[in-house]
This record gives sequence, C-alpha cells and structure tokens, in this order.
Amino acid sequence: MIFEGFEAYRRAGFSPRVAIIGAGPAGTTIARKLAQANIPVVVFEAGKDDYDEVSQGFYAGKVIGDPYFDLDVTRLRYQGGSSNHWAGWCRALDAVDFEPKPWVPDTGWPIRRDAIEPYLEETREILDLVPFKPDRPLSEDIRWVQLIKSPAVRFLEKYGAELAASPNIALVRDTYVSDLQGNGTQITGAHVWSNNAPHGVFHAPFFVVATGGLENSRLLLWSNQRANGGVVPQSEALGRYWMEHPHYQAGNAIIPKPEAFETDDVQEAFFSPSWAAMERAKILNFGIRLIEQPYHGVKGLISSLACSAPGTAEWAANEIDNNLRCAAQLHVAWEMAPVATNRIELSRTERDRAGVPRIELHWQKSEQERRTVLESMRLFGNTLARTDLGRVRLADWLRNNEAYPEDAELGGNHHMGGTRMGTDPAKSVVDADCKVHGMANLFVGGSSVFPTSGQANPTTTLVALACRLSEHLKALVA
Amino acid sequence: MTALLTRVLRRRTLMKALLVLPAFSILRNLVPPTQTDETVEIDGWILKRSDLA
Repeated sequence: MIFEGFEAYRRAGFSPRVAIIGAGPAGTTIARKLAQANIPVVVFEAGKDDYDEVSQGFYAGKVIGDPYFDLDVTRLRYQGGSSNHWAGWCRALDAVDFEPKPWVPDTGWPIRRDAIEPYLEETREILDLVPFKPDRPLSEDIRWVQLIKSPAVRFLEKYGAELAASPNIALVRDTYVSDLQGNGTQITGAHVWSNNAPHGVFHAPFFVVATGGLENSRLLLWSNQRANGGVVPQSEALGRYWMEHPHYQAGNAIIPKPEAFETDDVQEAFFSPSWAAMERAKILNFGIRLIEQPYHGVKGLISSLACSAPGTAEWAANEIDNNLRCAAQLHVAWEMAPVATNRIELSRTERDRAGVPRIELHWQKSEQERRTVLESMRLFGNTLARTDLGRVRLADWLRNNEAYPEDAELGGNHHMGGTRMGTDPAKSVVDADCKVHGMANLFVGGSSVFPTSGQANPTTTLVALACRLSEHLKALVA
Repeated sequence: MTALLTRVLRRRTLMKALLVLPAFSILRNLVPPTQTDETVEIDGWILKRSDLA
C-alpha cells in the first residue's frame, strides 16, 4: 500500500509492528523481508517518487575540513534513496576488513565476514549480480579482485510495485520523521512532518532508522538532544568515526601483457593488497582501478620511460606494435582510518524547513591514508615490475608529496560510520545486531553501522546486513 | 717531467673510468630504494634495476 502523506495513512488504520524510517536500499530490503514473513511494517519516506528541489533542500549542509561534495548533491531524498543515482559497483567487504588491524586504532568489527555470508546469495538476487569470481594473487602483495558493475538496481523501479501491492507494507511518502522520542530504554514515539506541516506523534513497537550514512546520525543526534539523551543513552560515539572512500588518479602504467589479468567489459581491472602487505607496510586497505587507455596516452608514457630506462621503453614500444591495449590510468580508492574527529554535528545556526538542524560534516584525510596511497602504488608497481607484467609511474602530486589534486573526484559518495557497530558503547552506537546500545526497540540499517570501511563499495555489504537485521527482527517481533 | 706525465695519466685514467661508468651507477645513489632490492624509483617510474642497464 502506498500513501501520499501521513494523514491518508492515519485514516487507513494500519497497525504496524515495525516502523522503518527511510525507503532506500536498506529500508526497502528490511520492509520486503518482514512483509514476506507476514509482519506488518510501515515505511516512512521523506521524499516522494521523484527528484524534487524542495525535498532535496532538506539535505543541504556544511562541510568543514577537506573538500567534499555538496551535501544536497551527494545523496537523493526520494523513494529508492541514493540507489536512484548509484553506479551499481558491487563487492562485499573482504574477510580481512572485519578483523582488527593492530597498526590502526579502533578497527575491527564485533562480527566476522561469516556472519554476512549466509545473506550474500540473497543480496546478489536483490542487486541483480552474477556470482563473484574468487580473488587471484598476482604476487604475495597484490591480488586481482572482482568488482561487479551491476545494472545499478533502482530500488524504486525494481521494488516499487511489490511494495505497493503488499498488504503487509504501508509506504508513506512525503512523510519526514523529524525526531524520535525515547526514555533511555526504548523509543516511545516519533514526531512526523508531512505535506509541509507537523502531524503529531506516531507510535510503533519497533523502529528501524535507515535514512542513509549521513542522515542516520543527524536524526539520532537531534532526537537525542530533544529527548535529553533518551534515544541514544550512550552517545559518545554518535555521529563520529565517519568515513568515505577517497579516490584519486595516482599514476599510470604500461601493460605490455594485458591478457595476464582479466578486465571487465569496459577494460577495467581491480587490485587489492594481501593482509601480509598491509601488515608489513602498516597501511589501510585499498583498491587500485586500472583503466586501459587509448593509444595516444601510451606514446607520452613511453617517452617518459625512455628518459629513465631506454631499453625498457624500447621493449614496451615493440609490444605496442603488436598490441594497442598497452597503457592504463591507475586510480586508487582507499579505506579511511576510523577517527573520532571525522564526524557529523548539528549546525547551531542552520535548520531545514521542519526546524531540524542541518548537518556540519567534519572530515580530514590522515597522514596514514596518504602513506597508504603511496605504498599502494609502490606495492602494485613492484608487483608489475617483478612479474614483468608492466611498469608503473607515480603521479607527480603523489611522489612530490603535494596536495591532493583539486580537480579530481574526491570520493565515492560512500557515507559510512556515525552509528558504528561495536561492543564498547564508548566507541560504538549499535551492537552486533544493529541495535542501539541500551535501547530495546531501536535498530539502525545502512552503512552508518560500518565500524571500518574496507575498500569495497558499500552497497553489497549494507544490503547483506539489512537481510541479516531482518532475520533478527523476525525472531524478535514474532 | 715524470710528475707531469703522472698527472696526465691519472687524469686520463679518471676520465676513462668516468666515461665507462654507466649512468645508472651515478643515479643509483640518488634513487630511494623501494621495499624490494630488485626495484628502484626513478622520475616516478618503478623499475627493475636491470631496466637501467
């Protein structure tokens, strides 16, 4: 069932067991799975069924620290959420991403990868993914990894009709949960803003916050402030440890033997480090994206190589005569260190139309991350040289220790952390079941629960976690 | 006379030695080694030492 506004929903007299706030990938997944188990759920979607300037304006905010995308551009506020503009790149976090890295403070999940593995096949169906191929080592340090570019499932398009037809789902659009009310042990209600006006308080036995990797923190911070700590009783980590996947072009390569590793249908390949390499170099995880270049890029690279290694340049040039797929751009995306000072705060001066303080996003890349980028290219370059698969040239900004390029992509629009998962309430917000510490009926869905980010795009993992949370809720609610 | 010859010979020997010295031997001292012995970084390139021969 779909309702356009809260008043229409209220008149219908629907009685949900679970209220899900947000109809993006996590919220939609949880709603579908609970409904399939005959558990009635209401889903509040702040936007409508399409992009809308006014609705999008609720997301405006301020960024303090490193350059970042405008906050009303980096995500979408309508049914389907940011699946409406994602690229569909998929890979689950690696097993090593769940482990603590002794050389990086505050790393490690309270679960291991085997906790999400039972849900990966279902996740593939949800995201229209073919089965993943196993990693293939190129050396002791570097492995080829598969990153599947799916058809970029739009959750509104793929699941909109199912949500509309389900008697167990009430999807209420244009309805913004502006804050939750709580008494320190459970959520007692939620203030609702719909059709540009307040609509009182809503009640349900269980609540799931699934509004995205920025908005989850904002909603809980504001709710907690209004409820004097009654929504997130242990809130030291709330809004903190926020993370992205920064990425930049970090170099080029000449690849005389491109057939040595598999490229996808747009001639790209991806590489990551082994655990031993990360441990030895004391760095974070990273992903190198190799993009094969047109022929004109090859000539410039070989000219540069000839200045330092004429014989090798001649070898590469001879190979080029036989094979035009011979040069590549190398882009690096990396895992950010989880740092408490990278955080979402509530603005003290700016509010949206419903009176909710806007976001101030504080984030800064660290020295350890800078070293990770440099070492990533060195590890990859050494692997290619030692195996004679090719030669790598570092970008000037990287080898000269200059500032990050300003005309680059900056990051992946991947919003992670802020309500991170953990066992220590001083450093986490939710437990291993995505339940807010100390609260009996409040859960969080989405990548905001990631304690660390790994290097893989987050959607696959967050959908698998949403499937897992659904199973937990089924048992709890029943 | 002998002292002059000795000076010239030494100079010729030194010049010969410099001429036969491959360029990479001089560069090698300027290049920070990477994590393995077999590779070096020169002008941003990560190369095998044998690339420079």
